[in-house]
Amino acid sequence: MIRLKFLGPALLGLSFATGPALAAGAAVGQAAPAFSAVDAGGKAVSLADFKGKTVVLEWVNPECPYVRKHYDSSNMQATQRAAIAKDVIWLSVNSTHASHVDFKTPAQMLAWTQQQGAAPSTTLMDSEGRIGRAYGARTTPHMYVVDAKGTLVYAGGIDDKPSANPADVKSAKNFVDAALADVLAGSPVAQAVTRAYGCSVKY
Amino acid sequence: MGKPAAFRPGDGFAAQSADRFAEPKFVPRHKAKMRHLLHLLILTLAAAAMPIPAQAALGASVVTTGEVRAELVVQAPEGVTPGKPLWMGLVIDHQPEWHTYWKNPGDSGLPTTLAWQLPAGVTAGEIAWPTPKKLPVGPLMNYGYDGKLLLPVPLNVSPSFAGQALDVRLSAQWLVCKDVCIPQQGEFALTIPAQASTAPHAALFAAAQAAAPQPAPGAQARAELVDGAKTLRVTVAGLPPSLHGRELAFFAETAGVVEHAARVNARWEGGVWQAQVPISSQRFESPSQMQAVLVAPGAKAGVEVGFAIAGTWPALVAPTAAASTESALAAAPAQPSTPPLGFGLALAFALIGGALLNLMPCVFPILSLKLLGFAGHAHSRRALLAGGLAYSAGVVLSFVGLAALLLLLRAGGEQIGWGFQLQSPLFIAALAVLFTLIALNLAGLYEFGTLLPSGLASMRLRHPLADSALTGVLAVAVASPCTAPFMGAALGLAFTLPPGQALSLFAALGMGMALPYLAASAWPAVARAMPKPGAWMATFKTAMAFPMLATVVWLTWVLGQQTGIDGVTALLSVLVALAFALWAWGRIDSGGLARVAWGTTGVLLLGAVLAWALPSWHEAKAAAPASNPDARWQPWSRERVAALNAEGRIVFVDFTAAWCVTCLLNKRTTLGDAAVLADLDAKRVALLRADWTRRDAAISEELARLGRNGVPVYAIYKPGRPLPTLLPELLSPQLLRDALAAP
Repeated sequence: MIRLKFLGPALLGLSFATGPALAAGAAVGQAAPAFSAVDAGGKAVSLADFKGKTVVLEWVNPECPYVRKHYDSSNMQATQRAAIAKDVIWLSVNSTHASHVDFKTPAQMLAWTQQQGAAPSTTLMDSEGRIGRAYGARTTPHMYVVDAKGTLVYAGGIDDKPSANPADVKSAKNFVDAALADVLAGSPVAQAVTRAYGCSVKY
Repeated sequence: MGKPAAFRPGDGFAAQSADRFAEPKFVPRHKAKMRHLLHLLILTLAAAAMPIPAQAALGASVVTTGEVRAELVVQAPEGVTPGKPLWMGLVIDHQPEWHTYWKNPGDSGLPTTLAWQLPAGVTAGEIAWPTPKKLPVGPLMNYGYDGKLLLPVPLNVSPSFAGQALDVRLSAQWLVCKDVCIPQQGEFALTIPAQASTAPHAALFAAAQAAAPQPAPGAQARAELVDGAKTLRVTVAGLPPSLHGRELAFFAETAGVVEHAARVNARWEGGVWQAQVPISSQRFESPSQMQAVLVAPGAKAGVEVGFAIAGTWPALVAPTAAASTESALAAAPAQPSTPPLGFGLALAFALIGGALLNLMPCVFPILSLKLLGFAGHAHSRRALLAGGLAYSAGVVLSFVGLAALLLLLRAGGEQIGWGFQLQSPLFIAALAVLFTLIALNLAGLYEFGTLLPSGLASMRLRHPLADSALTGVLAVAVASPCTAPFMGAALGLAFTLPPGQALSLFAALGMGMALPYLAASAWPAVARAMPKPGAWMATFKTAMAFPMLATVVWLTWVLGQQTGIDGVTALLSVLVALAFALWAWGRIDSGGLARVAWGTTGVLLLGAVLAWALPSWHEAKAAAPASNPDARWQPWSRERVAALNAEGRIVFVDFTAAWCVTCLLNKRTTLGDAAVLADLDAKRVALLRADWTRRDAAISEELARLGRNGVPVYAIYKPGRPLPTLLPELLSPQLLRDALAAP
């Protein structure tokens, strides 16, 4: 209880400058940054809509070899279906900037999702990178879990094998499966922050 | 090369090789046609670009993709001989704008990995990574290489190796990125004759060696977590003089700790480099040791430094509690034996603690000032009450002011605690000057009326309230380091609270301290018990000069602990010059030339002595505090406590400081008691002393861990317990024995 934690909110401004946008990325254990965005179907979606439900955020870029590793091996789709089956909301987020060669239009994202047999609740178009920067998303894939109270409880990789080889999926530990199991059991997430690996997010 | 969109394979695997071992590990389902075209193109390009190998017999050792040309090379100037240098290496020649990654790739990317296949008797070491570059990508930061890179690896040949030639096979994986990323791999083979010298790439190896981060002999680096573990403060002394004053880029070798893209605020102070490295909000490692490379602008090679990290990493596990404040508190270490304090209870404790401050030895000189105040105003009850209120206001405002300053400094990442003012030699010297001024005034050497400008002097005379308030401020300045019982916990709590609540806690502390005085001024019964004014007052006033001077002696001793004999000599010289100046100024009642001459001489002398003295009061020298070299007591360190506990011994730690009078009192009484010491010896209790006379980050951290913010703190660490038992701040032999006997 008694602990030296010196930063009151009013004094935060006086602490050392915290660099560019990502430096203020969301921290596990704190309230997940709120956002609203338009999904690939043109519908407005905000995090607040899902209050009371566990939410997974998945940063995606269909052109990234590491994203393809998890889609070609059906690992991501399986993780999505298992989550949806437990009444979890799954938001795939594409933060690729419109000027980047990897950029996909909403229609392209919908087509790709269908072609992959992917099962997210919806896919958010974030070409301005607002959600990505708020969460400090660095890589595709980069995974986040927000619990029913709106607290960020997991940030990191999809699994513990940082490679581009789909064969590694079988022997890897899926961190998102594990985090969801912990959250839904009401216990703290055992591995709450892990290394996210993959391509850089194309801000 | 062409536009990346056109040239990019668009699939997961792009490595192609002129070598028979290279084969794609996985093939995507689509765009296969394009790949075949691409392979043809690459093969053609590779064939055209491939240099004729220096030794054709060595075998196929080059893999070329659209983005890099990779080649396995060897540096064996003395053949393959046990005990002789033998290096292998992978040259990665990047196409313009493409890059691969360092061992810590930064925000994204992956380090290149090398898997060797070597005959029996030969083993490969780690990659000797050259100094990386910063590769910003939008808001992200990566560490890596572009252009022509050699990753050298030392091979160790044991005497059991007896072949005529060394067959080396390498399976390498790298991630190459521009605005897109492509994971690639290559299989390489090379045969090295055992007896001949093979060094066709000597210049490349020499360049790679020159670009490797250099160790800095004599550099001493340390780091501590500050700012609620949001910042890593790295301090490096003893860096090569060629780096002094230059802007150094900081590369953390350990991944998953720092915010790679954030600005590192660094400054040079003397020859010491200090940097505030922001910690990543998504940190996934909690190392106790870290390595980093510091690179000056334009330098090929950086300097490698290693440092231990002082401080406790907050837990990485996210609690299930929703509110962030709750979770922050839940992550904190549990408080030993003290139940959590509610805010109301903390206020009450602060009030009691403040009142007890009056009884602390270091407040005694100020009590004498208060007595003078009572004697001076006893004729008017109203004046007395007004003075009491003014004094209370002075005390409370000083406490709040000090707390606000402390909060500000802490927010700035300063590793300091309560009593911090007395850790600054300059502040000690200033206090000694102030007390000398007061003593000389009491002794009658000068009068404020003659010294101060008439306006200020009459303000003092006409406004006794201002005088009272000033007395209150003075009382706080001296009392602050004496953390009375209860105050430690209240202080610790104060810093876990938002500034508003923390400040009110300090206000309560000040109120408590002022309370006895206020009561005496409010109730005539108490006031009447005070001596009546009379001729004795002049005598009394003069006599009071001596406690003041005694305080100066104490302050001088503290300064001596901090700066050594030079600092003390400087202080005494300043005091003499000050006394002379006061006397010279005060004795002259005639005007004219004599006054100007005496006064000017006094002021000039004081100025000259001050100019000479000031530098010697700068922050403590490296010399050990040398507080009574007592064989029984060893210097404290967290590691020492752990080691002694591991031996099964109980450890008693005395957190102390030369400027803490309560500490000295305990040291002379309970801790100097022969019977107590015999008891401690009989129980084989190890005695460690943590001297906080000067700033010490490790001690501040440990105090923080114990929920305390000042000294004295007495802690008993028993084997197998994560947290120690804390004793009250005023010790008694019985108390100490009971605590040791407790299970």
